[in-house]
Formats: sequence, C-alpha cells, structure tokens
Amino acid sequence: MPGATSDSAGGGALVPLSPETKRSPVYPLRHSVGPPVSPRVSVCWARGSSLRVSIFQQRPPPGGEGDAGGEVVEVKLNGGDGEISDAQWRRIAYGSMSPFAMLQSRRNSVSTLSRISPSPYHVDWWEFVMEYSKDINALLGGPESTPASVIEDPKTVVKKSEKPASLKAAWELMELFYVDKLSQAWLPERLVDWLADYDSLFSGSCATVHSKLVDFQNELINIQVIEDNPTYWEVIGSALAVGWLEIVVKLLHLHGSYQLDQLSSRETENGLVEAVAVLISKMPRMRLELGDGRLGECYKAKPDFIKAWEKWRSQITKLDCSAYWIQCHHLQTREGLKNLLQIMLGNTNSLSSATYHWLELYVSHFLYVRPFTVGLESMHGLAQKCIQLKPVPRSQKLMGLLLGILGENTEVVLAECSKEFGPWMVAHAIELMTAGSDEAESLLCEEQYNLGELSLQELHRLVYAQVLCSHAFTWQIAPVYLTSCMKQGMGLLEILLCKQPVQHNELLHKNLEICRLYELDDVSSHIMKIAGVHHWKHGRKGAGVFWLQQAQDEVRLHKIAQQLFASVGKSISDESFKQWEGLIELLGSESKTAGGLEFLHKYRDFKRSLKHIHDGKNIEAARQAVEYLMLNTSEKEEAELAILNVSI
Amino acid sequence: MEKSLLKLDKGTTCTSWNYSGDRLASGSVDGTLAVFDSRHPASSSFACTSRTKVHEGSIVKIVWVPPEYGDAVACVCEDGTFSLWEELVEDSVPLQWKLCERFKSGSAKVLDVQFGVSPSSLKMVVASSNGYVKVYELMNPMELKNWQLQAEFQNVIDLVSPSSKALCSSASISWNPLRGEGQGSSFILGFSSDSPQLTSSKVWEYDQAHQRWLPVAELALPDDKGDWVYGVAWAPNIGRPYEVIAVATEKGISIWHLSLNVEVDGRLSVEKVASLSGHEGEVWQMEWDMSGMTLATTASDGSVKLWQSNLKGSWQEQATFVTT
Repeated sequence: MPGATSDSAGGGALVPLSPETKRSPVYPLRHSVGPPVSPRVSVCWARGSSLRVSIFQQRPPPGGEGDAGGEVVEVKLNGGDGEISDAQWRRIAYGSMSPFAMLQSRRNSVSTLSRISPSPYHVDWWEFVMEYSKDINALLGGPESTPASVIEDPKTVVKKSEKPASLKAAWELMELFYVDKLSQAWLPERLVDWLADYDSLFSGSCATVHSKLVDFQNELINIQVIEDNPTYWEVIGSALAVGWLEIVVKLLHLHGSYQLDQLSSRETENGLVEAVAVLISKMPRMRLELGDGRLGECYKAKPDFIKAWEKWRSQITKLDCSAYWIQCHHLQTREGLKNLLQIMLGNTNSLSSATYHWLELYVSHFLYVRPFTVGLESMHGLAQKCIQLKPVPRSQKLMGLLLGILGENTEVVLAECSKEFGPWMVAHAIELMTAGSDEAESLLCEEQYNLGELSLQELHRLVYAQVLCSHAFTWQIAPVYLTSCMKQGMGLLEILLCKQPVQHNELLHKNLEICRLYELDDVSSHIMKIAGVHHWKHGRKGAGVFWLQQAQDEVRLHKIAQQLFASVGKSISDESFKQWEGLIELLGSESKTAGGLEFLHKYRDFKRSLKHIHDGKNIEAARQAVEYLMLNTSEKEEAELAILNVSI
Repeated sequence: MEKSLLKLDKGTTCTSWNYSGDRLASGSVDGTLAVFDSRHPASSSFACTSRTKVHEGSIVKIVWVPPEYGDAVACVCEDGTFSLWEELVEDSVPLQWKLCERFKSGSAKVLDVQFGVSPSSLKMVVASSNGYVKVYELMNPMELKNWQLQAEFQNVIDLVSPSSKALCSSASISWNPLRGEGQGSSFILGFSSDSPQLTSSKVWEYDQAHQRWLPVAELALPDDKGDWVYGVAWAPNIGRPYEVIAVATEKGISIWHLSLNVEVDGRLSVEKVASLSGHEGEVWQMEWDMSGMTLATTASDGSVKLWQSNLKGSWQEQATFVTT
C-alpha cells in the first residue's frame, strides 16, 4: 500500500525515476537477542500497518548466558511526521474526522439533488470545501501571528513565537491554490502573506529574512547608534523586499534622527527617512484588503491599481532625484535609504542582494517588478527563473510541493504530500485538489485497473484508514473513511472489525455498535459467535449461550443443547444442576433448536419437583413429568435411565 | 522506530500470533508451548500466561485455529506428527491448555497444516511428505475432538497415475481468506519435491455437486513446474475483481492474478504479473497485510522485505529490515 516508510506514493512511479536510481531503503532492526541470532525471522502483520518480527536465538549458548531465547519487536510503518507529537497527531486525527464526514455527506446530498432536479441555483461546491479546509486548518497548530503583531516594546520587531509546523504551512498552500476562489485574482499577494507567516520554517536549511531579523533583534540591545550599524540597513532592505512593511517602518522609526535631542540638527536626514517611510506605508497593493495595522493601499481593479502604481513610482523617482540627498551627511543613512528606493523601484540586483532564498526573491518580484502577474503558468515561469538565481537545498519540505502546484502537476503534488507529510495529508488534501482543478479531479477519481479498480482518491483513504488501525486509540475513526470508499472500503472495514478481540466487553460493544451503524449484520453475528464460543469455553457458560443466541447460531446452540441433554441421567452436584437449570432457561427463552428442549424442560421440572416431593403437593407435578418423559418416544431410553437413576 | 513487545523463552523455535494480535503462541525445541497475552487491548506489554509440554520433540510450526472454534492451536512437530491443543475451563478444572487430538503420521511426515472456514464447517488441510494432502472436517463445532477425513489426494492435476514414491521436504498451504456466506472454499498448495507434477502450486476448490476437491488452476509457467515451492500466500481481497496470490520458489517470488470467472473447462485463468528478486537465499515466510496490498517476506538471509505494486501494476521492493 503506497505510504510505507519508504519514500513516495505508489512505489516511486508517480515521480518518474530511472530504474538504476531506485533502491529501497534499508532499516536496521534493533533487538536485544544475544548471539548467535538465527537468520530465520518470523513476521506477522498486526493492527493496520504495524509489523511484528520474531527474532530467535540459534541454539542457546551452552553456558546458558542471557535470559531470553528471542524477542518480538513491533515496527510501525507510516511512522508519523517527526515534527508532530503523538498526542497532537491523535488530536488532529480525531478532529479531522467530522469535517471529512460532513463534506462527504454534503457531496452525497448535492449529487442526489442534482440528479433529482437540475435547478438553476448553482451550488457553490467550493464554499463547502472551503469550510472543510478552515475546520481542518484550525486543528493544525495555533494561529501564527505575522511578524508585525501588536508589540508593546518598540524594540521588539519580530515576535519570538513558537515555530509553526510545516504541515500547517502546506495545508494553507493547498487551500490557497485549490480552494480559495475569492483570492484567485491576487494569488501573488496571498503568497506574500504566506511567506510572512512561514519564512521561519526555512531557517533550518538556509539563511532567511526571518532569521536575520531575529538575530538583529537579539543584538539590538547592544547597539548604541543604530543607523551606524550596516546590519540595520540590511535587515530593513530585506524586510522591505519581502513586503513586511510594518517592520520596515518600525525599524525606520528607530533611526537616531527621530530622537528629540537630534531632531533639530538632523532635520534633513529625518525628513528623508520619514519621506521614505511614508512612501512605503502608501505602497499600492493589488489585493482585496489588508488586515488591521497593515500598511499599504489596496486596489481591487487592475486599471485603478496601475494608475496608483505609476503615481507611486513617479513619487519614488522624484524623491530619488531630490536635492536633499546632498544635504544628508550621514553616509549610511543616505546609502541605506537609496537602496530602499531601488528596491521599491524594482531593481533586480537590489532585490537579489536583499533576499536569501528563491521564495523570498520570488515574492519580491511580485511586489516590485511584476505586481500584476496572473495565471499559474506565468507564476511557474517566474519561479523557475528565481530558482536559477538562488537555488535552495531540495530537502526543504515545502518547496517541492509549491513547485508541483505551480506546475499544475497533480502527480508531483500527491507524491510530495505523501513523502513529506504522510497519509493523513494525502487523504485530506485530495478533497482540496479535486475541488480546485479539473485535471486533478479526473486523475484522482479515475478507476485504476492496476489498483483493482480503485481510484487514487479511494486508495489514499484506505491507506490512511489502515494507519488509523495501527493505533489502539484511533481505530474507531477508520470506519468513517472506509465507508466513504464505495469500492473496497466496506471490505476492509469488515476485515478490521473481525480482527478486534472479544474478551473485553467495552471493546466488544464498541465493535458491535459500529456494525450496527453500518448495517454489517454478517460481521456482527461473526463477532458474536467468537464471543459466544470464547465465553463458553472459558467457563462462562451463561454468557456463551447469550452471545450465541444473539448471533443466532443455531448449529452451536443445538450442540450445546445436546451436551446438556447428555448430562440427563447423570448424577451431578447441586451446584452443577443449578447451572444446568439456568442454561436450560436461557436456551429455552429464544432458541428454536431441537425438540429435545421440550424434553429438557420437562426433565428439569421433574428434577425440581422431586426435590420437594416430601411436601406431598408436588407429587402430581412429578407424575405428570414422568408421564411426559415416558411418552416422548425419541428420548424414551434416556428417560427410563434417568428415572431409574433418580429413583435409586 | 521498533519497539520491543516481549522476550521469548530459551530454545524458542517458532511463533504465531492469533487473529486479533493479542495472543502469541510460541513453540520450543523441548516441545513446550508457551502462550503470551497482553494485559489490555490497548497496551503493548505482554506476559507469559501458560507453558504446556505438548510434545517430546521440537515444535516446528504453530497454527491458530479460527477463533469462532475456540482458543486453540495446532502444533506441528519435527517428527512429523501434530496435535491440537485448546485453552479450556472444564468442569471444575481452572483454565489450562488441553490436548484435543493427536494426529499420528504413519510413515509420512506432516509438513504443513492450515485451517479454513467454510459456511458449513471448519476444515483442516494437512500436507505430508509423501505428496498427499488430507482434508479433515470438524463434526462438532463446539469440540475440537472429532475430525472426519473428508478427502485425500495428491497435489496433481492428472489424478489418474499417482506417484507413490514421492518424497517432499516441505509444503505450503494457504486458504483463500475470504470470509463470507455462500462462497466455496478454496486453498492453494505447493510442495518442494523431486516430482514436478506434485511440486507446482495448484488452487484446489471444493465441488459441491460432485463432493470432491478439484484443481482449478496451476500457478506455474510450463518451464517452472518443477521449481521447489517454499511458500504460498493468498492475499485478502477487499473488492478487487481478481485474486492475488504470492508464490515463493527457488527462483524467487512471483505474484499471480487469479481470475474470478470460471472458464469453460471449469478452470480459472491465471496470469503471472511479477517476478520479485531481491532476497538472497530461500524465502521462509510470506504474509499479506489486511488490505492485501503489501507483502512482507522473510528469507534465510535474515532480512524482512516489503513489496507493493505501483499505479502501473509494477511490483517493487519498498523497504528492507535487517536484524543488527
């Protein structure tokens, strides 16, 4: 099943690789069995996708050293995302079940409705998917504040919050490109926002604007004259390049020329700084809206934006040519501010120097060079160019995903999701992909003969369900995903339920409840049979009979009745007789088994009445019972024996 | 990544997990059957709950009886006999493992035993070293004592001329794991022997009309019929329009598709879809996961390999585990 510990879904074929490069990974199995270890190991699958390996010692050493002759170890395949703890994963698994179930039920009702009456009212399916996406996003770690959040301390420019999980970043990327129809027109700006939230994720593998800002912030306390510090101007330039305007302005306001005692002597300098700051805060943005406290001016319509853009640029150029620069005596300020102007004018060299990895360069192009880029194709072309200028190690989880999305390559997106984020991601993100792209939908919903006529969408739900089955706390969620697969989900569900143990009542009842919910009567009766036999053989005869009756297992109940019959005529203790009596009661209440039951009832009555015979009252009852016993031809011989036995 | 579940007794030769994975039966070189239980379904700590001497010689294989017939195992021993043991509470005797039946071998050694559940009863298939296979049927579902020999035949297509002097060193049986009413039961059987007709793996199906077992398919290419079969494994089918069976021979592991449609001659058509190489040495064991999509194999090179098919239907090795 695609999604085992090794890389890539579908055995590597989704991402075409030449055969020579394909070697499966080798994992060591650590164990504590002393040498010599037998080369013969035994395997058994347990619970979903866990593998149990039995390792044996080959001929125990003569000295009898060591205690164990072997060991059994369990390996959980699809072992989760390293970033996310087990508890968090469970929370995500539990939490995503309802949104998923809701979406499926909505899909069913929409398709039913459209079959019944093709109404002119068009259901905006993507809105449902958007709701689903938001529900799931809420589970994936706390809300990440943008670097310029509400900050008391003027010297704190970057909030040191908990590093977000790349899973959330990936999810938002998928939502952005596939589902969010409202934002399709200003995708580049949305990407700018996304990078603002998640730039910190890339700090592990290379330098980032975020990491530079954090470092600078740490040094800030020690700096006396901030505008003398070259790093100050570097980080301002970098923050501007990636569109973190609020940070830029905040940093600019730290400039020494704002200090009250400096204002008079550095008026021109301050004027220039302020002018740049104002220009920055009025930057036109091709987007619907900006959050509170965010800088810039929004324009929805392209013509309005272009007009504002050109006006803004002319203002920058005007400032650039201003005579005041000559009067600015502080060299670093002059050069630093000029650099900022170059960035705003879209000077590619300045942008390249200010950014550290290709994504940062990429967004800077959207902001300052080509703000009206539209369409995935042109976005993809630009991305390729930026990668050539600033390559980044490929091991970065999100890069491959983004490139796959931009390249509209469904197979790559699937492979990246699977490889980097695991089966949960693939199973849930497919819903986003089928909503957003016709090409994706046709690929994912097409039935594949090689998968036994499963579609990829269903396959990944089955894979995920199997992962859920691997953990004792999450197996009950699996049915939700399995029942959404028309083709093979029910088959797997039946197997899952039949593999659950029956000894513990809670688990048994939970299991039966699931069977009831999904109308799996065969499975139900199978499980009850197992429970019945188990209890019967472990001395809990009453419980055994009860479960076999529930299972309507006539064959076994008949055998039990026969067994009880066999104890007719045998002298048994009072204790056993009580048990025997009780069982007859139980059997008699519902079972339609052999006519022998009638006989057994009568015999019981006879035995009972014999006990009270000295009362005198029950002689009549006893006589009736004997009469019946004698008349009943099939069991006549036994009856005679029994009566003889009793009378003796 | 790996987690230790339990330590086995000294001299343990084989292990087998029950259907739900919460009981382990282990057999040792001195004929002891040790059973380990988990304290709670959710826990993964196991403790030994019983040790019973079931035989004088070494136990080589343990097979659990299907759970709807009780907590019981078949223990196959080195001397070629096997016995059925069940965990019972009988009368006032507390819980213990008791002998239900001991099966003597005669001259031939028992090589493999597997249980299959049909709608009517429990069946037990026993393959012996003389190339014969016996199918037993349980008469009373509540007692594992009375077994009736339903059929005895050789693993050959042409039943006219039985080869009497065949000597087989190993056998492998795998029942169709299908669990459902109204379905005929079938199993696949292969041998390692000097007689090519016996060796190749065949699918046997019970013909209700004629009350006998018929070979409905042979899973070997014409040139490979004499290849020794080390193991067979029938994959669970959760809704595929064909069956998937793995056969391990001296040439490697092959994956077969078995059609569900019966041809004119009463046979089922087969197609070999993959030859998997990668193991160095004889393949010992093959196990399919619950969905029938991943195959785990072990071999005498001490490694465990996982195999899966990709979208294009091409089977590939996905991972290898080696004991350090």
